[in-house]
Parts: sequence; C-alpha cells; structure tokens
Amino acid sequence: MGIEKLRIKLGHIELKTPIIMASGTFGYGLEKINFIDYKKIGAITTKTITYYPWEGNPQPRIYETYSGMINSIGLQNPGVFYFIKNILPKIRKKFNKIFVSISGRTENEFIQLIKIMNKEKIDALELNLSCPNFEKEQKMISQSSDLTYKIVKKIKNETSIPLIAKLSPNVTNIKEIAIAAEEAGIDMISVINTVKGLCVDLKKMKIIDGGLSGGCIKPIGLKCVYDIYKVVKIPIIGIGGIIKGTDAIEYFLVGASAIGIGSGLFTNSQIIDEVIKSLINFLNKTKSKNLKEITGLLNEKKGKNR
Amino acid sequence: MNSEICKILKNKNLSDDFYLLKIENNFKEVFLPGNFIHIKIEGVFLRRPFSVAIYTKKFIGIIYKKIGLGTEILSKKRKGESLNILGPCGNSFPIFENKKVALISGGTGIAPLIFLSSELKKRKNKIYFFYGARNKKLIFSEILPSGIDYIFSTDDGSFGQKGNIFDIFKTYKDDYEIIYAAGPEQLLKKVSLYSSKKPVYISLENYMACGMGLCYGCVVKIKEEGDGKYKRVCKDGPIFEGEKIIWE
Ligand SMILES: Cc1cc2nc3c(=O)[nH]c(=O)nc-3n(C[C@H](O)[C@H](O)[C@H](O)COP(=O)(O)OP(=O)(O)OC[C@H]3O[C@@H](n4cnc5c(N)ncnc54)[C@H](O)[C@@H]3O)c2cc1C
Ligand SMILES: Cc1cc2nc3c(=O)[nH]c(=O)nc-3n(C[C@H](O)[C@H](O)[C@H](O)COP(=O)(O)O)c2cc1C
Repeated sequence: MGIEKLRIKLGHIELKTPIIMASGTFGYGLEKINFIDYKKIGAITTKTITYYPWEGNPQPRIYETYSGMINSIGLQNPGVFYFIKNILPKIRKKFNKIFVSISGRTENEFIQLIKIMNKEKIDALELNLSCPNFEKEQKMISQSSDLTYKIVKKIKNETSIPLIAKLSPNVTNIKEIAIAAEEAGIDMISVINTVKGLCVDLKKMKIIDGGLSGGCIKPIGLKCVYDIYKVVKIPIIGIGGIIKGTDAIEYFLVGASAIGIGSGLFTNSQIIDEVIKSLINFLNKTKSKNLKEITGLLNEKKGKNR
Repeated sequence: MNSEICKILKNKNLSDDFYLLKIENNFKEVFLPGNFIHIKIEGVFLRRPFSVAIYTKKFIGIIYKKIGLGTEILSKKRKGESLNILGPCGNSFPIFENKKVALISGGTGIAPLIFLSSELKKRKNKIYFFYGARNKKLIFSEILPSGIDYIFSTDDGSFGQKGNIFDIFKTYKDDYEIIYAAGPEQLLKKVSLYSSKKPVYISLENYMACGMGLCYGCVVKIKEEGDGKYKRVCKDGPIFEGEKIIWE
C-alpha cells in the first residue's frame, strides 16, 4: 500500500503515520467508532486535562458557520487524578502513541500536573498555552513571548517527557512566540488552536463567543505554519481546517512535519483514510521517499536540517 | 456506530414543511428506538441529526421538518441520490413488557415515538399514544402503526381534540406505569416536571457537532451529587430520564 512511507519522526518520537488526532475533537479516543481504522492514526492527543475537574461552560457551546463552527466547551474534563486512574489505562490499550494535553490556571498548577504526569508512561505532553484563563488577569500564555518562555522553561526543568507547545493564532507576531518556546527548550510546536470568533443565534437570541475551527480557518493555520517554519528548527504539527485529504499535503509543503485532525472528522467521516491516500499519492507522484522530503518544499526557507 | 453511503429510496413531502425520507439500510449494526442518524448534507459543515422513525432490515425512515439551510437542501434530494450517514447514534429508550404506557408527542417528536411504539407493541405493552400537532394536515395517520390507541389533538381543533397535547394528556386518568415523550423542549420540560412517581423518558434535541461523543458540544446538565454534571446528548442521550434534567 505504501503506508510505510508515511512513517515520521518527531524528535525522538516515531509515528507510524503523521496523523495526530487534535485535542478536544476526539475525546479520549475511547468511543466505539467502527469506520475509523485506528492503525492509520499516528498518535492521539487527549482532551486538555487540568489539575482539578472542570465542569465546562454552560450552553450554548457550539454553533455552525460557513465551512466551520464555533465552540465554547471550556475544557470540560474530570481532572488529572481521575484521568490517570480511569481513562489513561484504557487509552493505552487502544493507542500506540499518546500525547496528553494539559493546561494550568497558574504556573504552580502546571508544575503539579507535570509532577504527576512524570510518573506515567506517555509519549508527549502538549501544553495548551492557548487557554484564555491564566492567572487572575485571564491571560493567554501564548499571547506573550515572555510568558511563553517563562512557563515552558519552568516545565522543561521538571520533566524529560517530550513537550509540545500548542499555540494560538490570535497574536500580532506568531514567530516571536515560536522562537520564545524554542529558546525555552520546547521539543515541538502545534499550531493552530481555534481562532477567536463569535456567532449570533437569531432563533434563540443568544451569542456564542468562542473558537472558530473547520475548513474556514485553513489559510490561517497554513500561514502560521509557514511563518514558524522560517524561524525555528523544531518540528511543527500543522492543525486547522483539514477537511479533505489534499489539505494535509498543503500543510507539509509549507513546513509541517505532522498534521492534526480536528473538526474535519465531524464533517468528513473518511478524513483519515483520505489523508493517508493523498499523502501516499503525492509522495509517489513527486518521487519522494518520505514526508520529510516534502516538508517545507514550498517554504522559502526549505532545506534546513531538522 | 458506523458510516455508510445510503441511497435515497423516497423523499416525500408529507404536508407543509414536513418530509418523510427513506434510505437504504446498509448498516450491519442494529438500530433501537431512540437512536438517531447523523446525516452529511453537502452545503453545510456539520452533520444533521434525525431520530429514526421507521426501521426495517431494508430501509431506515426519518420524518423531518424543513427549518433552515440543511433541511432545505435535504428536501431537494431525489430518489437515487446518496447520502453519507452515521449511525446508529446515541442511546435508546428503555423498553419493558406488559406495561401500561403513555407516549406523548408534539411536532417532529412523532418520529422517535413511531419506532418506539412498534417495539413496545411487540412486547405486549398497552399503549396510549398522545399525538399533538398544529393542525389536521400535520397528523400523519398513514405512517402510524396500527393496534395502538391514539389520542389526537390539534392547536386549531381541525382534528382530534382542540388544544395542547399535554393539557389533553392531563385530562386522562393517569395510571400509566411509564411515560415516553418527544418534541419541543417546552413539552418535554412540562412532562418531566409533571410526575416523579413514575419513570418519564424523553428524547432531547440539542445542537450538536460530532454526534459521536467526542466534542462535548451538545451537553445537558444532569442531576448528580454536587451541582450536577454535563452529559453528552449525542452519546449518553438523547434519551434521558426527565426528572434527572437540570433545565437551563
Ligand atoms: C437527537 C436529535 C434528533 C432529532 N430528530 C429530529 C427529527 O426526527 N425530525 C426533525 O425534523 N428534526 C429532528 N431534530 C432536529 C434537527 O436536527 C434540526 O431541525 C436540523 O438539524 C436543522 O437543520 P437546518 O440546517 O435545517 O437548520 P439551521 O437552523 O440552519 O441549522 C443550524 C444549526 O443548528 C442546528 N439545529 C437547528 N435546529 C435544531 C434543532 N431543533 N435541534 C438540534 N439542532 C438544531 C443544526 O443541526 C445546525 O447545526 C433532531 C435533533 C437531534 C439532536
Ligand atoms: C469542540 C472542540 C474542542 C476543542 N478542545 C480543545 C482542547 O481541549 N484543547 C486544545 O488544545 N484544543 C482544543 N480544540 C482545538 C483543536 O484541537 C484544533 O486546534 C482546532 O479545532 C483547529 O483544528 P480544526 O480546524 O481541524 O478543528 C478544540 C476544538 C474543537 C472544535
């Protein structure tokens, strides 16, 4: 079939395919979904886990828009202790590679989470630096390069688990943030988290203030990957609006080493198969041996050693 | 749950904005009353959920109301065209045997209750089916299972009794052992708050995205220790015990 061509290495992590299920759009991967071929998934990223259980936001939580949706789920999760005891063992049975997404409202909460996760066998920790609720001032860590540097540095000192920084596109200059994360020792970057947006439900006379995802944000995700690739050496996981197979190719060409599938699965149940097929076809057509060869091919900074 | 491409066998206007859609049943999974299908409609991003109304080995039928862009596009689909369908989605109504049961339906709530009533009948339940609609045209007698006692009501009195179906229901002697309801949220709320002495099962219709239990978009708050807990309508539901719902 040629799927072996799609093996990748993200730092020291070897993945059978470059498909990573994005945080919050695949739950904990435990639902019984017969149409998904789990062998084609390189890694799962869990819904973001916090130290304390979070109830999440009240309704309305979702609303549809042109080729996309707004969500305001609010990190509903049962907390890290429940997660480790009751959920993680089940994920292990089903997935080869596990990325656990975590978020803290304070630096201390992040450190506590890291200390707990240090005892678990997982493949990577994704730091969700794009939540708008850090400290009293409700900051978003990845909107400040200083804060990004500080938090990543602190966490890096506490753990040897590979770290991924998940960044928000809602910044003036994404390059600065990526550089700060790299300088602080991050192993990988995943972009993008959702784009801030708002919908108005005229029937219910309510607003849904949240994060935009889906096909409509693909150009924003591509632009972020393109810009970040130019300034860092670490691998980039490209996420945002991958709703058909060829969308994934575009992400590789501008600089991604792997891709994340999020709400694309909601609109296209065949998305995983399509991505695999498109990538294999593209490698064959361009006579490329592996995905590394096409990463950044259309980026002016291609050919760097990563 | 699976994803199948199913051919449209029929997509017929019942009256006004109501349609009956029949598709090939290409699923190996078994559907139960209360389950819904999640339909991909080209032209809108998210799938659209609809309760299964008719279920046989050969086909699946839904009854839908045209209310927006998705259902508008769906209503133009013709026999022979195909749809990508997820199913069976969600949980199902608990079904017992030899009970006296009441079914209360308003508007499109008729859909899941038709499937439910045919299963209840097989299990020798005594069924009282309260079926409310705006007017006579929206009482779809031709698709109702036979051998069941129906009590009809219409808002304008053009068929059955005049008035709201819940008000009509309350005028009957209430010695039912179980109540099932589907339809507008206001109706479900009233039925749920009406009796705590007997189980009331309702089918919720929250806005949803994935339909597979992945995204936590469609949650409803359920009474549990503490302040309650958000449960997923698409996975833990859409069928819930009425008295457990914390209405927002
Ligand atoms: C479990 C379940 C079972 C359902 N069963 C039926 C049925 O048997 N017959 C029927 O006619 N309708 C049913 N509905 C409602 C149906 O899904 C909506 O009417 C339909 O999605 C409207 O789509 P639209 O594009 O025409 O409307 P729009 O208003 O344009 O849709 C915009 C968005 O809102 C959502 N939405 C709008 N109205 C509703 C609603 N009432 N409930 C849930 N989501 C909504 C849509 O799914 C879409 O995401 C059910 C809903 C759920 C959750
Ligand atoms: C319903 C929903 C929930 C999400 N939850 C999280 C989350 O908990 N943590 C996180 O880092 N990203 C979360 N995301 C963002 C996605 O992981 C992804 O970055 C974003 O949706 C863009 O990709 P897409 O267009 O492919 O969906 C969520 C997205 C959606 C749609």
